[in-house]
Amino acid sequence: MGSYTDSQEEGRGRRDLAVAAFFLVLAIVVVYLPPRLQDHVAAGVRASALKPFLMTQEALARARLRAEDALVLQAQLDSLASLVVSQATLAEENRKLHGLLQLQERAPGTFLAANAIRPGTAGSESMFILDVGSRHGVGAGNPVLMRNGRIGLVGLIRGVRGSTAVGIDWSHPDFRASAMTADGTVFGMVEPRRGEFREADRLLLNGIPFYEYLDSATLIVTSGLGGVFPRGIPIGEVVSMAEEERSWRRAYWLRPVVATGSITHVLVVTDDGAAEMMADLFDGEDPQIPDSLPPTPPQRRDPGPDDEREPPGALDRPGGSRS
Amino acid sequence: MRRLVLLRILVPLLAVLHFLLHMGMGMGRGAPDLLTLSLLLAARELRMGAGAGLGFFFGLMEDSFSALPFGVFTLSLTVVGALGARTRDLFVGDSLRFLFSYLAAGKLLLEAGAWLIAGEMARGPFVQAVLVEGSLAALYGALVGVLLILPLGGRDVLR
Repeated sequence: MGSYTDSQEEGRGRRDLAVAAFFLVLAIVVVYLPPRLQDHVAAGVRASALKPFLMTQEALARARLRAEDALVLQAQLDSLASLVVSQATLAEENRKLHGLLQLQERAPGTFLAANAIRPGTAGSESMFILDVGSRHGVGAGNPVLMRNGRIGLVGLIRGVRGSTAVGIDWSHPDFRASAMTADGTVFGMVEPRRGEFREADRLLLNGIPFYEYLDSATLIVTSGLGGVFPRGIPIGEVVSMAEEERSWRRAYWLRPVVATGSITHVLVVTDDGAAEMMADLFDGEDPQIPDSLPPTPPQRRDPGPDDEREPPGALDRPGGSRS
Repeated sequence: MRRLVLLRILVPLLAVLHFLLHMGMGMGRGAPDLLTLSLLLAARELRMGAGAGLGFFFGLMEDSFSALPFGVFTLSLTVVGALGARTRDLFVGDSLRFLFSYLAAGKLLLEAGAWLIAGEMARGPFVQAVLVEGSLAALYGALVGVLLILPLGGRDVLR
């Protein structure tokens, strides 16, 4: 019986099918490659085919930064200068108090500036990519902050590659942060709640004891409990009460300090010294706070070598200083 | 002949434009998915193996800058490329209505495939990610595709 198609066309059809099957199998292999190999492939593509586009983006980001209003920057610089001048003596006092309480100094270079890019693909709306990675000291779990009027919590780093890092913002279903009021009196847990649209995503402060009542506009910050986020990072402001369980607990809606849509330039907290410090304090290890602090001289007339010396006995701590 | 030349220019141009808009200018979802559009247009001209191959390489490029698990777009676009080429045997497709439906269906298939492969951790709810946002992206992409084809000769290009 004769065939409806010629044998040459049939052969091409079979070859086509085989080639398609080959690429399909190759694609499945790519999905299940070890992460390290996947990183190599991705890095190779980024360094070759996508390099011109990345360079374009960097150039545009630089141009955007240069276009910032010089007057606004000048005003911010003036404010900072006045702040530094007015608080010059605080640095010295702060250092002494840190020594007395055996707390480590905040490490300089803790914050790393980075550009955030949204992938814009399905299912990745709560994620962002940063142009800094493990080479710059970024690690998984590092908090990400942004200044939006005031500095606020954006989210945290989830995965790190050599020169890039992938993070989740507060609207991601996995985001949780132990939180408290700015005065440290009420503690709870902040979690995201999906709105009908992504722009309507909100934060919920949950687990507040029933007898505690929070006024609107109360600032909520990270509590440092659990060691994920350092203490004191602003998360949002109380808007209204969301729900209450009779005689048990309340939950409040929060207005986030940082809107996810505005995330462009961020700060990554690369040093987890603050988190470690908090973990130590809540670990039950006695920080050996002295009963009384030695009096500080009311006025420093002649700053000499004596001023740098610690008061006798105040630093008499076992194991030396923690750094 | 005209169709071949136009698509050979249009397809690489769309791919470059896609990365320029999404990555270079950081437009995200504001810009249409020109890469899928480019693949779907090319697939109508290519055989199944070549369509799958083109989808594979486009997917690798998309994956290298995606927050979703690596390989999601490689696999999805490979399937879309292969199936797109296969539609040539099933539909003549010389009308703008067909082109619109074909592009929208292809983009929606990609969104559904990516959602399926991405896994629980990286994806949003199905209704929101695929049915609402995916459908809107598919209609947007299809509309852009038709608007691109119209000035190039409309139905003559597809014939």
